[in-house]
Amino acid sequence: MLESLAEFAIQGIVLGGLYALFAVGLTLIFGVLDVINVAHGEFFAIGGYLAFATIVVLHWPGAAGVAGAAVGTFLLGLGVYPLLLAPLKRRLGARPRGPLYLVLTLGLSTFLQSSLLAAAGGDYLRVPPYAGGVLDLSFTAVSHQRLLVLVVSIVLLGGLFLFLRFHREGLAVRAVAQNPDAAQAMGINLRRVFALTLALGVGLAGAGGALMAPLFNVYPTVGFPLTIKAFAITILGGMGNLAGALVASFLISLAEAFSVMLIPSEWQNAIAFAVMIVMLLLRPSGLLGGGGRR
Amino acid sequence: MIARVRVIAVPAALVVAALLPALIPHPFVLTLATQAMVWALLAASWDLLSGYTGQVSFGHAGFFALGAYAAATATKHADLSPWLGLVFAALVAALVGGLAGFPALRLRGHYLALVTLGLAEIVRLVAQNWLELTGGPFGIHDYRTFPGLPAAPLAHRQARYVIVVAIVAASVVAMRALCERTPAGKAFRAIREDEVLAEMLGIRTTVYKLLAFVVSSAFAGLAGALYAYDVQLVSPSVASAATTSFVIGMAVFGGLGTVWGPVLGALLLFGLSEGLRFIGVVYNLIAVGLVIMIFVVFVPRGLAGGRRTA
Amino acid sequence: MLRVADVRSGYGKLEILQSVSLAVGEGEIVGLIGPNGAGKSTLLKTAFGYLAPFAGEVALEGRPLVGLRPDQVVRLGVGYVAQAGGLFADMTVHENLLLGGYALRSSREARAAVDELYARFPLFAARRRQPAGSLSGGEQRILAVARALAVRPRLLLLDEPSAALAPRFIADVYDTIRALNGGGIAMLIVEQNVEAILAVAHRVFVLDLGRNAFDGTPAELRASDRIRRLYLGEDEG
Repeated sequence: MLESLAEFAIQGIVLGGLYALFAVGLTLIFGVLDVINVAHGEFFAIGGYLAFATIVVLHWPGAAGVAGAAVGTFLLGLGVYPLLLAPLKRRLGARPRGPLYLVLTLGLSTFLQSSLLAAAGGDYLRVPPYAGGVLDLSFTAVSHQRLLVLVVSIVLLGGLFLFLRFHREGLAVRAVAQNPDAAQAMGINLRRVFALTLALGVGLAGAGGALMAPLFNVYPTVGFPLTIKAFAITILGGMGNLAGALVASFLISLAEAFSVMLIPSEWQNAIAFAVMIVMLLLRPSGLLGGGGRR
Repeated sequence: MIARVRVIAVPAALVVAALLPALIPHPFVLTLATQAMVWALLAASWDLLSGYTGQVSFGHAGFFALGAYAAATATKHADLSPWLGLVFAALVAALVGGLAGFPALRLRGHYLALVTLGLAEIVRLVAQNWLELTGGPFGIHDYRTFPGLPAAPLAHRQARYVIVVAIVAASVVAMRALCERTPAGKAFRAIREDEVLAEMLGIRTTVYKLLAFVVSSAFAGLAGALYAYDVQLVSPSVASAATTSFVIGMAVFGGLGTVWGPVLGALLLFGLSEGLRFIGVVYNLIAVGLVIMIFVVFVPRGLAGGRRTA
Repeated sequence: MLRVADVRSGYGKLEILQSVSLAVGEGEIVGLIGPNGAGKSTLLKTAFGYLAPFAGEVALEGRPLVGLRPDQVVRLGVGYVAQAGGLFADMTVHENLLLGGYALRSSREARAAVDELYARFPLFAARRRQPAGSLSGGEQRILAVARALAVRPRLLLLDEPSAALAPRFIADVYDTIRALNGGGIAMLIVEQNVEAILAVAHRVFVLDLGRNAFDGTPAELRASDRIRRLYLGEDEG
């Protein structure tokens, strides 16, 4: 019994790393730009496609492919704020019309998903694992590939936290999240921070997509289930609260892992939604409360 | 100029819609036209809640699916007449809509959109996995459609089309009347513009928000039932996010907050996407995505050019 | 130093300033007072670039400011202290001050600037790791002013520095203001607390309903019966 529990726990933790990578990026974007990026999953998929392109087509080594995918997604993400969000902001002025930004990113999501489908077809593309072999713990075995995902996720997230905490530009990002007007008075260029933050957030998703490509395969809608789950995680952790998103990611992944004991696996995905709905009804500010402005 | 275009365009579209069965007795065109009408009703119902009252819902696919499944199940398992099935579906959807409306009372903006998205996803998961009730991934089929229609295939399709058009038209007129000619409509708009102010002015926002949810979901469910009886196959994909995306695209294209704008948007966008199918299936969704983005930013009032933006 | 000429400004379609002009000379403290809704804060925001005026000119030493964003105006040597300070309450005192130096060329320069500020305001040196929101009202206000000094502005725009402060804190804040002005910094100060501003200002402008109603020295202001009755009588400070 204890062995099964430990096995579930390991599975949950490993998956939690991926969820965290995804949800923290989403939360970062919300905390700073006040926009929920419905297209986040599509950048995850793009990361997978870039990994496929670099590793399978161009024969780059795995690490270079993942790095290239992350950077590529980041660069693509740089265009989103100036081309899409900024024009809407100009039109709406200061009036907070959150739902319209949601609709905009929904359009982006639809556009990206179908563009990927048009460009690359709907086939599941296969990417070979970056690390072969298995870590043999006495009660269970974890594939090295999955461990790699966990470790890289932690490294990337650690890097992000360090950046936000100690680097000058990271401080600027936090300032914009807390008080954009005051941030401007400090000489911070809001447009630049918005564009960079969005790119950083989707870059993390792209890295996740590249890392998970051997496990999930690559296809246009691979990111969508994650997106909805990430919404739930974000709300659970408190929208805009990065640490909350991190904790909530693992809470949800562990809940899903353990739930296998109680409910059929098809219903696993419902857990995240159910949690989200319950959270929204009882305590919309999330477990840890909204960080930043909220 | 825009106003004059509207005055001509709306009756013209209606006349074309009415004449279609006679003008182009081609089964394929009729099928498309019928489906377009169903989308139009769904888009209009979404607009009532999200465009008019400002309660942006990302889960309308859920109400649509509820109506479709309710109608199909009732007719298949309880042998309920499709005419009654329509009513039953609307009631089921309205009930769930009312229940969903309660938590919505406390949520604004992002949170509301996300919770409705979650609800729709749950509906889809239930549809996908609860084999006994919903037939799982294969869905429900083998149930009868409207009785008393001509037997010949073409005439049957034409009759179905007329029924759908009539019901859709009546529904849209009813919704429009509710929004434009009753105190409820004024309340809806007040809530959209400034909910706090509306409260202070004595408008019972709770009641009206719930009303918007109930009416909107009822008509969405009705659209689902019409879909079920026309296509005669209901599968989990009707509850997908793509459905919601399509509906929102149609509403944005046609003009939020007008009720009839989304109708126009639905007819045109559906026509566009079906037309593009000849180039390749994927491109129609690309168009939908582009339309949403471009129109939300640059053409906020949509084709209808409403006086007020959402 | 700062010249505001015939500015018409507001929010969206709402016009708050109909036509306002004023000037701040080198090293001057200029007060801006008037009833609520007169547009005092709006003027400050327009000058700093938060709002774009519908008409009129704003110039800093001859250089036009209209059309510049706040982050650009800061780099020209103008500091802005918002109503209630605009501090980053969840960040530490140190982080707030560091952000004040963001516009400087490098992190090293920013750190050096912060060290200078600690020397000038020792009370912050001791509290550098505390969240800014945990300081007292007066300390927070002075922190906001200190933060604005990191980039060595020649002109400071202050929006109601005394707002919501207890009287002894108000005295502290205005002592700081006086000292800074002694060092040559010009200031444009919006105030509801008329007595506080009249004590330090070289010139005072009165706004009413979006227009200039008066300008002169504090003495001239006190001497004008009309203004006294309208504005000074209502404001007990």
